Amino acid sequence: MPNMSAIVHPQQRHFNPYAENGGTILAIAGADFTVIAGDTRQSEGYSIQTRYAPKVFRLTDRAVLAVNGFAADGNMFVKKVKQRLEWYKHAHAKDMPLRAIARLIQTMLYAQRFFPYYVYNILGGIEEDGSGAVYSFDPVGSYEREACRAAGAAQSLVQPFLDNQIYFKNQTAAPGRSHPSHLPLPDVLSIVVDSFTSATERHIEVGDGLEIYIVLAKGRSLQGVEGLHGLRELSTQEDGERVFVLQRDLKKD
Amino acid sequence: MSQIWKYVRVTPSGGRVRGVPARSSTTSISLPGTPDHLSSQSTLILRFVMSIMEHNGGSVVAMAGKNCVAIACDLRLGAGAQTIATNFEKIFPVTDRMYLGLAGLASDVVTLREKFRYLTNMFLIKESRPLEPSTFAHLVSSTLYERRFGPYFCEPVLAGLERTPSGSYKPYIVGTDLIGCLNFAKDFIVTGTASDKLFGVAEGLWEPDLEPEDLFETISQTLMNAVDRDAYSGWGAVVHVITPDKVITRTLKGRMD
Repeated sequence: MPNMSAIVHPQQRHFNPYAENGGTILAIAGADFTVIAGDTRQSEGYSIQTRYAPKVFRLTDRAVLAVNGFAADGNMFVKKVKQRLEWYKHAHAKDMPLRAIARLIQTMLYAQRFFPYYVYNILGGIEEDGSGAVYSFDPVGSYEREACRAAGAAQSLVQPFLDNQIYFKNQTAAPGRSHPSHLPLPDVLSIVVDSFTSATERHIEVGDGLEIYIVLAKGRSLQGVEGLHGLRELSTQEDGERVFVLQRDLKKD
Repeated sequence: MSQIWKYVRVTPSGGRVRGVPARSSTTSISLPGTPDHLSSQSTLILRFVMSIMEHNGGSVVAMAGKNCVAIACDLRLGAGAQTIATNFEKIFPVTDRMYLGLAGLASDVVTLREKFRYLTNMFLIKESRPLEPSTFAHLVSSTLYERRFGPYFCEPVLAGLERTPSGSYKPYIVGTDLIGCLNFAKDFIVTGTASDKLFGVAEGLWEPDLEPEDLFETISQTLMNAVDRDAYSGWGAVVHVITPDKVITRTLKGRMD
């Protein structure tokens, strides 16, 4: 009989390089503006790591990127996108157009096809024709231009609400009338705030703070943003597209 | 209810062992302490294992209004991804002013419907007094808790009007989990495979003191938009609005896909 204690069994070690950090992001395109928003809570499991970790970032004067999922990957991805946009600016002496940024993000995500950035991206901004645009991505770069999109922990709570309020799904227009294809800015802002207060109420990973980015098309009046409490301008020039950020509190429980 | 993925070990003979700890690949792995015939060349495969609560699909929502309540359900009956029927109502009358919604495993929906019909009739015969929603809620709760360790896979929602000592009626909605833990809400109750979507839309659309017609619109929009984002619910809906003097029942067509 062989000595059983001498037999060494193989042991499996395991390392999970990903985490899920909660939070929710949302973007809605208007006719000549886009609103991109995200809450600021960052959590892991039942613990809150911080009540202020931004998930929405200004890329250029006409592009804003929201990232949700694994925060470390998200921050690294935004850093790399910004770096590529800076290189582009040095090479071409202009900012990259929005649809080109969308394609860049696709190639950058797909480049990591077999060790993906664990991040859902929503890109919002102004297209070269002056229209508001939202592009949403999956973690490996599949993307689509849409009028609105929610992603993250409370996607399942927010997206059907947006279907109803933005796309007017399951609503019939009065006889001889039709639903508007784009809503005015004040309506969009109140839908965004309502979406996040609802998500905060019913989802534990959403809350603390809300950051709303507003991108206005070139030459658009400031109608709808004037007089908003706590509005901050982030754009570098006044005669092009303009970016503003708005901060709101959400419940902290 | 979240969807469940499990690693299932497939042996060369085709038999499989469930509940093997999660691992990251589909390559052959031999585990310590397992019989040779299992560890040699057995493979871990990621499979979608459907939970019992989601097997048949379906959703129910109830809302309170001003002097009225509403309760609504979808009509789909499925077996996993396959749709079996599109006329499966999940809401049943208990009294003239009280309806019970049952979402979950379809066979238990039918069993509980019959069980509660029996228990309601026995109550009326023995007590010869009206059955009030608050009484029936505790009957539901105790009936489910009786099966604490082998539960019915149903999460009931009750909507009714409770008679007050002054003779008027007050809205009463309550939900329970599958072992009968009561949830008294003053706004709305959701359950079923689209519950997370229902929470989101209801939280956005509901407001206090809605009149019957406005409550009908609110609960209908809530249900329709929620089930349109849920593959396991849909195929039309039935809505009941209960007021002190009548019950308005409407069948809705939705996307029907």
